[in-house]
Amino acid sequence: MKYELVLHKNLKTPGYTGSLTDYERLGGYQAIRKVFKEFTPAQLTDLVKRSNLRGRGGAGFPTGMKWDFLPKDPAITRYLCCNADESEPGTFKDRELIERDPHQMIEGMILAAYAIGAKVGYIYIRGEFVYGARVLERALAEAYHAGYLGKNIFGGRTGIDLYLHIGAGAYICGEETALLESIEGKRGLPRTKPPFPATHGLYGKPTVINNVETLSNLPHIVNRGAEWFASIGSPPKSPGTRIFSVSGHVNRPGNYEVPMGITLRALIDEHAGGVRGNKKIKAIIPGGASAAFLTEGSLDVKLDFEAIAQVGSMLGSGGVTVMDEDTCMVWAALNLMEFFAHETCGKCSPCREGSSWLVQIMRRIEHGHGKMEDLDQLVRICGGIAGKTICAFGDAEVAPILSTLKHWRSEYEYHIKGKKCMVGNRGVKLVAIGGH
Amino acid sequence: MSDTVQVKTDTVKLTIDGREVAVPRGTLVIEAARKLDIDIPFFCYHQKLQSDGNCRMCLVSIEKMPKLQVSCSVPASEGMVVHTGTPVVTDARKGVLDFLLANHPLDCPICDEGGRCPLQDYSQKYTGYGQFQEEKRVYEKEYFSPLIEKEMNRCIQCMRCVRYCDEVIDSQALSSVNRGFQTEIGHYADKPLDCEFCGGCVQICPVGALLNRLPLYEYRPWMLTRTETTCAYCADGCSLRLESRPQTREVIEVTSFWGNETKSVWGQGRNEGDLCAKGYFGYQFVNSPNRLTKPLIRKEGRRDSPLVEASWEEAIERVAEGFGRIKTGHGGSAFGALASARCTNESLYAFQKFVRLVLGSPNIDSSVRYGMVNAARAMTELTGLPRWLPSYEEITQADLIFVIGTDITQTNPIAGLKVKAAAKRGAKLIVATPLRRRVSTLSNIVNRATRHLAHRPGAERAVAIGLVRAVMEQGSLAKEVASHPSVLRLRDTVLAITPKQIESAAGVAYDQIESAAGEWVEAPRAVMIFGESILRSLDGYETIRILGDLALLTGKLIAEGSGSAPLFEENNELGAYEMGVVPDGLPCLGRTNNESDRDRLSQAWKEPIPSGPGLTMIEMLRAVRGGKIKALYLMGENPVGSLPASAGAAEALDAAEFVVCQDLFLTESGRKADVVLPAASFAEQNGTFTNQEGHVQAVRKAIEPIHGTRPDWEILSQIALEMGYPLEYQDGAEISHEIGRLWSACRPAGPGWRDLPKRSEQTGAEDRYLDEGLAEGISERYRLDPAAKSAAAGNGRFHLVIGPVLFHSGKMSLQAAGLMKLMGEPFLYIAPEDAERLGAAEGDRVRLRSDRGQVEIAVKIDAKYPPGMVFFPESFNEPPVKDLLTIEMSPASQVPVFKTAEVMIERIS
Amino acid sequence: MNPTSKITAFSEKAEKEIREILTRYPDKRSALLPVLNLAQAEFGHISEDVMVIVANRLDLTPPKVYEVLTFYTLLNEKPVGKYLIQLCRTLSCALAGSENILGHFQQKLGIGIGKTTADGLFTLRTVECLASCGTAPAVQINGAFYENLTREKVDRILDDLKRGAEPVPKAMGEN
Ligand SMILES: Cc1cc2nc3c(=O)[nH]c(=O)nc-3n(C[C@H](O)[C@H](O)[C@H](O)COP(=O)(O)O)c2cc1C
Ligand code: SF4
Ligand code: FES
Repeated sequence: MKYELVLHKNLKTPGYTGSLTDYERLGGYQAIRKVFKEFTPAQLTDLVKRSNLRGRGGAGFPTGMKWDFLPKDPAITRYLCCNADESEPGTFKDRELIERDPHQMIEGMILAAYAIGAKVGYIYIRGEFVYGARVLERALAEAYHAGYLGKNIFGGRTGIDLYLHIGAGAYICGEETALLESIEGKRGLPRTKPPFPATHGLYGKPTVINNVETLSNLPHIVNRGAEWFASIGSPPKSPGTRIFSVSGHVNRPGNYEVPMGITLRALIDEHAGGVRGNKKIKAIIPGGASAAFLTEGSLDVKLDFEAIAQVGSMLGSGGVTVMDEDTCMVWAALNLMEFFAHETCGKCSPCREGSSWLVQIMRRIEHGHGKMEDLDQLVRICGGIAGKTICAFGDAEVAPILSTLKHWRSEYEYHIKGKKCMVGNRGVKLVAIGGH
Repeated sequence: MSDTVQVKTDTVKLTIDGREVAVPRGTLVIEAARKLDIDIPFFCYHQKLQSDGNCRMCLVSIEKMPKLQVSCSVPASEGMVVHTGTPVVTDARKGVLDFLLANHPLDCPICDEGGRCPLQDYSQKYTGYGQFQEEKRVYEKEYFSPLIEKEMNRCIQCMRCVRYCDEVIDSQALSSVNRGFQTEIGHYADKPLDCEFCGGCVQICPVGALLNRLPLYEYRPWMLTRTETTCAYCADGCSLRLESRPQTREVIEVTSFWGNETKSVWGQGRNEGDLCAKGYFGYQFVNSPNRLTKPLIRKEGRRDSPLVEASWEEAIERVAEGFGRIKTGHGGSAFGALASARCTNESLYAFQKFVRLVLGSPNIDSSVRYGMVNAARAMTELTGLPRWLPSYEEITQADLIFVIGTDITQTNPIAGLKVKAAAKRGAKLIVATPLRRRVSTLSNIVNRATRHLAHRPGAERAVAIGLVRAVMEQGSLAKEVASHPSVLRLRDTVLAITPKQIESAAGVAYDQIESAAGEWVEAPRAVMIFGESILRSLDGYETIRILGDLALLTGKLIAEGSGSAPLFEENNELGAYEMGVVPDGLPCLGRTNNESDRDRLSQAWKEPIPSGPGLTMIEMLRAVRGGKIKALYLMGENPVGSLPASAGAAEALDAAEFVVCQDLFLTESGRKADVVLPAASFAEQNGTFTNQEGHVQAVRKAIEPIHGTRPDWEILSQIALEMGYPLEYQDGAEISHEIGRLWSACRPAGPGWRDLPKRSEQTGAEDRYLDEGLAEGISERYRLDPAAKSAAAGNGRFHLVIGPVLFHSGKMSLQAAGLMKLMGEPFLYIAPEDAERLGAAEGDRVRLRSDRGQVEIAVKIDAKYPPGMVFFPESFNEPPVKDLLTIEMSPASQVPVFKTAEVMIERIS
Repeated sequence: MNPTSKITAFSEKAEKEIREILTRYPDKRSALLPVLNLAQAEFGHISEDVMVIVANRLDLTPPKVYEVLTFYTLLNEKPVGKYLIQLCRTLSCALAGSENILGHFQQKLGIGIGKTTADGLFTLRTVECLASCGTAPAVQINGAFYENLTREKVDRILDDLKRGAEPVPKAMGEN
């Protein structure tokens, strides 16, 4: 299948360093010039709305519509935040965009800030991205130096300052309101919504939070038009390309920018080089750890928001993890459950208490101390969490267990009855609980 | 959620479980449900706090919303349809309880919260017991603080404690430590809790995770008797609840009222349920082993023989005989009488009546003399009343608050909370104080200031003059007064003072003062609050007048929402003043030198009253030493312990022929008395206290008087009877009635005793002040003290200030074991710069020297104090720092001023 | 640094940086995370003393610093080794054999998870997803990612570090 790279175009160009000069040479910072000449903020918002761009951070919310929720009164201070906290297991696309083409994202931020009338924007980057932060710092300095950023840009029409805010290790800070709390110097605890950030965000002011990849799309939409964007990928609801981070048991793990709508099978076989050792695929997580596991029966599902939702999972962050036939599903679900139990912020009761409860039961099952009643108990606990928590973390953390139980219940039962693992190379060691 | 309750003009209608209800816009669904008496269970919600929505217990289903919603966070909206009892909702509640119980120990049998714990109640209602069969989380048990016990295994992580500490108290002393499943409550690092110890976290914790250590494991809540009463410490006048065991006459603990948890017919009190350390942890003086429980008399009747226990009959007889002898021999004027403003209105009223009618003496005074009278006099001249016109509510709602001459969060913590609440709401806050900005877990009002006038210690008057000058110069006078001849005179006087002179007297840049004045003028609702640094200063009366002038000139003296608020220290100072326990005043605000006041009183009492005015406290002591006064009657007042040695109180008591001292404890003065009578505390009697705002609040008997003690009024009755005078009362209520009747008789026009003054009733007073008061003594009042005490530290010279602190109040708190755990010994507070200069580290001992003597004391370094100033908590007499002070008399009010001294300090190596 | 000496102030260089950080936000508290990151860079870990100077600098109480400090996993309240080895344990790395790599680290260093070698050189930790799933298994050592780990590569890395090499942060897949 032939298609054109959009977000990866620059960074796949040989010799491209991501410097300002390189970026400009390949047409960078033309979009803001165009916007400055041709668009009012409202017109820019409208353009993005017409492009049907949807958020790439996880929830897939239409970007233009999100901007439109902000109060119209220009006297109210508003903020832009770039979510560069990328911590969703299986996802590493933003990291590459940051490290290799920082100006694309910065230009996107300038556009977004202009559209929503923000004078200040913060880039919330996860603390582990030490290299990425350095790259961004340098790129920001270049952009300031070139006059793309500062108190007086767009010919004096506005001023936009962008600052880097470096996290310190907390997955939950990727959740947009936790991110805001974190910038405010507090623990990264999600806020109860409503009110939403659009009206009560950073410092209580109207705020837009957009993902790195979402923002990186903006210069292209401006340069080539809403219609162009709306027509590529899987229109009308999932237009554009998507960067999928493919990992796990594939021959060529990595980030692949493809038009939305290609099948999982095509992504895995044609781009990621197929499964290692020519093994059969057992399970695929299509959108990061928060997305439900799919079986190989779903390999021909199109990778777009709707199609993936129809088979009971979600496109999420675009992190595609592939597991071959030798992978134990109890083990895999436990691995992710441990991730969630470690990362729950602890603010709301179901998530705080439920996550570790689930881990304890899963560990018992994995280590051969399970009981058949545990399976119903798992489902019951998951039901007590899903839909009852402050943020979407609660729904996410139950996805691995519920989906593996749904598709591979026999594997759980085998663990319980046989006190050992069903798949060959992973004999259950009967270790004491907590011996991990 | 006071924060979101802004202007709620319009209402919305919603339907909850099929019933319609109209509520103000912004009302949360959980609150709307309560209006219908629909009980939605909750843990983390609290009406004093911002919604946090963390426990998820209050989930309800709302039509047209995809998921269950937390009713504690969703505001009601028009047409909303809510269901609180569907199977889905009930299931969700069960689920949440299951999670909360998972790691909660089932140690209810030994948990002090057992029986008043919503976790127990809801468990009983919704589940039975949890489904959890894994290993429970166990937190390491750690020592948390001397007064607050932490039992983290019981914590349900609702964060009410932390949120209360942050949002309401602003102490920011609690932290939620760690993350996720390991979240717990802490201070910082492994430090034991160091904070204001308001006890709010203990009270607001729904479960038994934070507990009062004082009565730990001592009781089951349902076995305690609850008595709603008024705190006996400061004049903020908090309502609280004594939880007692009447059988053993013990007060076990204190709680207060937070509307959504306790429905009190008495309301939540002026404190809205908040308390300070004294209120919450300071109750144990009631059951202190040091309480006097037997009358004491001199063995052989002579002063040099020891005090020995006696029966009440014997003691009363002695008193009656002694008083009788002196009255016959020397007449009424040979008596001096001093009372404490901690006593109830009823006892104070009975006391002055006893002194005036039975002893026939005009020489009566009380602890209001230490400073409160300055405010009472000035405020009465300005507004016609010593009571406040602004209320706590108006402070909270003000646009601007001007705080001067008080470390309000230490001296009057609840009034301080109102100021903090206003600042949080966005009110401007001008704070004039030499204290510095310093964020710590003890709140400091300067930290919240939007403007800080950092004046020199003791220069409040210069600041006030500066403000009046700036207002005059800016020409921003209220229309009604602008052209009054007195105002024009005042104008000439203040404009003759140069900004330079003000700067050098106040130590504040004049443009700061100008800006502050501008803000004061502009604020529609502006309240000024001032306290002991002014009330207890030599020119306190003048300064309060000047501040009053400022309010008057700018139209804010009696305007709705604005006004002046003097802070009082002891719980019933206003009451003592209003009961006439002053030599120049009579009960019901009469004046001794006012003929008609005297007439009305003698008519009501059906007896003539001694001609006055009598002597003030210091005058009395002098008169005893001079032989004119032969006998002293002290009710709760302890001049020997309260005054510096140079006041000569000890000598006076020695010189007196006959001294009777009636108190809870054997005080320094009591040791010198001929008869000591053990009195009952506030927990043991009925009566009233009048808080500084003027609310006459109930004091209710929680326990019978500790064996051997009697209420003050009862003792007075008995002495009177013994002396053949029928001053007989059955109980406190009978006296209250008499006060009420007398008040109406003496002040037929004004508000009744228990009524609060209305502003509309005060306009006459303002006009009178304009015509008669304002011009009086202008040049005296507006004189800058050229020798404004300089605080320049140099050559080891320091400006020593003594004053009240948060954890103590007078001497009474020294008998409260809980408070002694917080501050069991005094330190000298010193700025870090000074400590460094002296080479003194925290805890090092220094020697303080004034021309009156020297003492040694350990230092505590606190950057709140400016260089050159050192501070000593006045409740302590050991070491005798007080004796370094000189004592001066305020000419206007005969207030004995002993607040400051110039001292030399050196480190003891 | 002498462990017993009390830390009472930031260095002049850090202080300058703090002043710059404060210009980025409309309120002081927002500077907390950047200042804590800075403090950790300066003092190695955030001891009680450091909490107090950070609190004083930002007009916060120490508990408000502490609650943030204990929330974020990259901030250390206790001292760590000169090299902080943070090995990813989450699914993609686990699928790529991170358990074996972990075992190898433990064996080579002779320490368990969460422990520091006796010479104070290495602290070994497992962490959650490092966004290196495509180059798994991955480890982060003092800010630098090392990816596509094998036992041999681990040996090389440890040898270099023992020789005093500074871990250099590089782009994905380049280390
Ligand atoms: C637990 C949790 C973690 C999240 N982590 C991230 C993240 O690391 N990066 C991201 O862009 N969005 C993340 N999100 C989604 C954000 O909340 C938010 O939807 C997104 O940043 C919005 O940007 P977009 O509209 O451009 O997608 C997370 C959401 C949840 C609930
Ligand atoms: S200690 Fe009490 S108030 Fe604080 S979080 Fe725990 S349960 Fe809630
Ligand atoms: S009371 Fe509503 S979530 Fe706790």
